[in-house]
Amino acid sequence: MMDQSVVTKKRTDRCVTGIEALDSILNGGIPRGNAVLITGSCGTGKTTLSIEFLIHGALMGENGVFFSVTESSDKLLSNMMPYDFFDESLLTTQKLSIIDMQDIYKKLDLEKIEFSFEDIDKLIKEISDIVRKKGAKRMVIDSITSICFHLKTEEKIRTFILKLGSSLRDTKCTSLLVSEILPSDARYSTYGVEEAIADGIILMGNLERRGDLLRTLQVVKMRGTSHSRAKYVLDITSLGILMVPLLKGGGS
Amino acid sequence: MEVKLTSVDKLVSKLNELADGTALALRVGLSAYLDSLRGILEGYANKANVECIYVTATIPAASIIGALDVLEIKIDHVHFIDCVSHTMLGTVGTKKDDILLVESPTMLENIMLKVEFLSRKIGSKKKIVLFDSLNSLCIHNDLKIVSEFLHILVNNMRAKNITTILLTIEEHGTEEIKNMLNLVCDETLILGSE
Repeated sequence: MMDQSVVTKKRTDRCVTGIEALDSILNGGIPRGNAVLITGSCGTGKTTLSIEFLIHGALMGENGVFFSVTESSDKLLSNMMPYDFFDESLLTTQKLSIIDMQDIYKKLDLEKIEFSFEDIDKLIKEISDIVRKKGAKRMVIDSITSICFHLKTEEKIRTFILKLGSSLRDTKCTSLLVSEILPSDARYSTYGVEEAIADGIILMGNLERRGDLLRTLQVVKMRGTSHSRAKYVLDITSLGILMVPLLKGGGS
Repeated sequence: MEVKLTSVDKLVSKLNELADGTALALRVGLSAYLDSLRGILEGYANKANVECIYVTATIPAASIIGALDVLEIKIDHVHFIDCVSHTMLGTVGTKKDDILLVESPTMLENIMLKVEFLSRKIGSKKKIVLFDSLNSLCIHNDLKIVSEFLHILVNNMRAKNITTILLTIEEHGTEEIKNMLNLVCDETLILGSE
């Protein structure tokens, strides 16, 4: 029979996102060390949620790193400013870091269409080194789809995500991997591999109801915790992301 | 429980007696509509230092502000959520910080989200939510989804000790609306109804 103190430790080992409704959906937060796919089509709030996750973490004393593949750090910074709770000192004190992936590609001589297995190892080592050096407990890669575009094959994608998870395991760094899908996609990831390997999947979408477009969020999977699988409607405000249950009455 | 009131003063007394977190259905006759607003905003909220989150689904917030201005009712403590103005394209006018817009009265979740936002922004001060009016909301939504919306909204507000006042106009009311309000509300007050 498991020692009670071990059971207690296991139960409380959560990465509190700071997004109140999401923490409630996840019964306290993301199990620490999980790699979670934040997936959805354009304009659904994936980057915004990821940024808020890092800011709240930094405010709670957990350093975070945002690896941006598609947007410049200036643009990301401008997206953080409207938050009432954002403090620029988080960046100056390195509690929060924004890394342009293009700079890493340049440094590692990876400005190419397709990465080899050796390139994958170099990239993972660089990402892990940055996470360790910054003492980061939270990490975002936005987007994993853009990196996978350079990997081309299912085997390479699988290798990349598995090795990334394995290299960060001892740091207990909780990761959000942003995945872009089309609105019509039945899968949760472009290549189908990412969703199988990820510890969790948070699906963000645009739901059309009688001509209105509602931003929605649904936790499809999260290893290590029970969670709500209901769909929620969200609003992006200066106080952060707020959520309410999706109303089901009245049909589609 | 339905209580018929004979004057606005009686309405104000009743509001002062309400426990925090109560869900109140307020059925008013057309002729008593402006008086009831005066009672709620001036007679009760102003005097008791209560912040009011005013959700309007009937007429634009700017029109209500104009009417309250004519009646010389102070609105420093009133925060508007306007579900109407966006449906009148081109007439939204100057954006005002004290009016939050919801694109349509059909976006019920967004109404709840704006109420949640304002309730957090206002902080720990005592507050009420005034919904004007259920009749207008039922023009745009079927009763089933409105019932679900009210149930969730009222329970959320109850958990935060915020009183919710759901206004309906008696002349435009139906048995279905009355039954729906009886289901979700703790009390019903009737003012100015013959």
